[in-house]
Amino acid sequence: MDVFGVLAQFWPDLLSGVGITIKLAGLGAIIAGVLAPLLALVRVNGGPAAQVPLRFYISFMRGTPLLAQMFLIYYGSGQFRPFLQDIGLWNFFREPFNCALLAFVMNSTAYQTEILRGGIMGVPHGEIEAGKAVGMSYIMSLRRIVFPHAYRIAWPALGNEIILLVKASALASVVTVFDLMGQTRAIFQKTFDFSVYIWAAVLYLCLTAAFVWIWRRLEHRLSPHIHGKRPSLLGAMTKRETA
Amino acid sequence: MAEAVVLKAEDICKSFGSLEVLKGITLEARNHDVISILGSSGSGKSTFLRCLNMLDPPTSGKVSVHGEEIVVKNGHPTDMRQVERARQRLGMVFQQFNLWTHRTAIENVMEGPIHVLKQPKAEVKERAEALLVRVGLAERMNMYPSQLSGGQQQRVAIARALCMEPDAILFDEPTSALDPELVGEVLRVMQSLAAEGRTMIVVTHEMSFARDVSTEVVFMHKGKIAEQGPPKEMFGSPRTEVFQKFIADVR
Amino acid sequence: MLEVFSFGEAGWGDQLLQGLLVTIQLALTALPVGLVLGFAAAGASLSPYRWLRAIGTGYTTIMRGLPELLTLFVVYNGLGLLLNSIVSSWNPDARVELSSFVAGVIALGLVFGAFAGEVLRGAFQSLNKGQMEAGKAVGMRPTQVFFRIMLPQVWRFALPGLGNLWINLLKDTALVSVIALDDLMRMTQVAVRSTKQPFTFFLAACLIYWALCVISEIVLARLEKRANRGVRRA
Repeated sequence: MDVFGVLAQFWPDLLSGVGITIKLAGLGAIIAGVLAPLLALVRVNGGPAAQVPLRFYISFMRGTPLLAQMFLIYYGSGQFRPFLQDIGLWNFFREPFNCALLAFVMNSTAYQTEILRGGIMGVPHGEIEAGKAVGMSYIMSLRRIVFPHAYRIAWPALGNEIILLVKASALASVVTVFDLMGQTRAIFQKTFDFSVYIWAAVLYLCLTAAFVWIWRRLEHRLSPHIHGKRPSLLGAMTKRETA
Repeated sequence: MAEAVVLKAEDICKSFGSLEVLKGITLEARNHDVISILGSSGSGKSTFLRCLNMLDPPTSGKVSVHGEEIVVKNGHPTDMRQVERARQRLGMVFQQFNLWTHRTAIENVMEGPIHVLKQPKAEVKERAEALLVRVGLAERMNMYPSQLSGGQQQRVAIARALCMEPDAILFDEPTSALDPELVGEVLRVMQSLAAEGRTMIVVTHEMSFARDVSTEVVFMHKGKIAEQGPPKEMFGSPRTEVFQKFIADVR
Repeated sequence: MLEVFSFGEAGWGDQLLQGLLVTIQLALTALPVGLVLGFAAAGASLSPYRWLRAIGTGYTTIMRGLPELLTLFVVYNGLGLLLNSIVSSWNPDARVELSSFVAGVIALGLVFGAFAGEVLRGAFQSLNKGQMEAGKAVGMRPTQVFFRIMLPQVWRFALPGLGNLWINLLKDTALVSVIALDDLMRMTQVAVRSTKQPFTFFLAACLIYWALCVISEIVLARLEKRANRGVRRA
């Protein structure tokens, strides 16, 4: 076991693995982040025809292992290969990266939808009424009141979900994606040097720690009213004078 | 020469399920009117106020703003655009303030004019600052609602309503959620608004405000208007037994 | 189409059932390991000793930040290497193999323990101090206070969180198929290889896991209801 030897020899591989991990988790979180608010609205306001299938979807995604979901997409698509070739989607499903990403997006969308639903339900009814009372349309009150407030409520839980996604992205290595976990396993199989796992652990911890730091900074910027950060009197004065 | 009619409600009825809360209310507010609506809890006075800007659309009856009737069919307004236009002309101040907690005091005041009325930001900001100064919050413009007392929050809410430059303002028990020592500061602001000739419809429990500030008093009882008239007459010689009892109980 | 799931020679029903039993066995074995670790971690992070607190919070923080798959490989490969180096220092020819079941139990237990440590710490912290004092006041010994007063209430506070962790544990057992344990996931893969019906079989596996989770949720809801007897809803 040569703790620094492995790093000296394989750091480019590990670094490219970190890149893939960030790409997988980042893309997954962002795409799910675009879909989730729409589905959350359906969860809050939708009729039963939209609610029932959505609830089944969310329950399925939360009640089955992500690994199984990923296998279902990656290997399962093979069962429909002729059909997928016909409609030109086979090239997409042939790539393990795409299949892993699709699984992460579908899974994270389910979780983020439920988190945002909680956020939307947490917006005080009176604030929405106050929006109506100044003549806001439904869409505008969503844009100016409901979502800004719901995201502030949901922010910590969303951050948690993204950390879970960073960790879960390691599963992609099982379908031969060379993310950080994939590179680590490949290096171990070449060298049988256990210290590569320690470096992988350190890198994952750095990734999540860095993310937590960024997320907290954003939270402070988003919700000073929750942290009770009083703008100084001086700040208030200068602001007023520049008007 | 009578002033122009700003807001007119004709024969408003409202039921929640089988519960009949309003049983035919007719009221007219002209420019510079300050109408106080009194009544014990459960008399339907807040519901009536919420019918006027369609937060609770009436089951039947007509509401018109500046002569334009808001069309309501089966308890739902047919044209939300029309409702939104009407709401832009009617400010509202709530019992629970309902400030947007994720925005500072001045952001709360500027929100409507900028995003609903699409007015230029610089102009709105100037007006908002002047209004906050006027309600005595010059030092607290950049604070969040959670950092303000109830009385301060309600004054921000009044400034928020004023900044829309409405034709009339609806007050829904604006002092009921406040600690007794904070009531005065809010009433003083409302009094100054009345003095400058604002059109106001105020649901309240504050007898002194009704008697000394308003131009007209409406007493509601069990979903109907039981008595109505100028405050001097109403308080000087109440005609109905229910209103006599109401005044006696409050004193 | 469904005959691929029949039992006996013709179908894969009995293999999947076998896998399912291994999955349940794995989860049920890892659960007590995780609970013990969780109580230990909670105790450590609430202890008056600084070094013990550091160990407790260090364990829960690091373990929760690592991918479960990485933990599994670290245990499987690392512990295997460690055992072998210990054994071979005594007897150079001996070889030991860490079974994938044992590695799975340890890894899943470690993960469960880290999260459970946080849940339990929160539960202990939300206990009402006055009730413990009341216990002392009637002359209970510290162990009696712990078992008769604290534990039943910690259970109530911690149950929702622990229930969530149990469901995660059930799902995480699928990872152990990667180190060749013949659980439900791996038996499904075996069936896929010979039938060439990946979608059908992985969907079936998903549905079985789903059923396990839904059943767990129902049982947990019952347990929570029982644990909350006599507590008025706020």
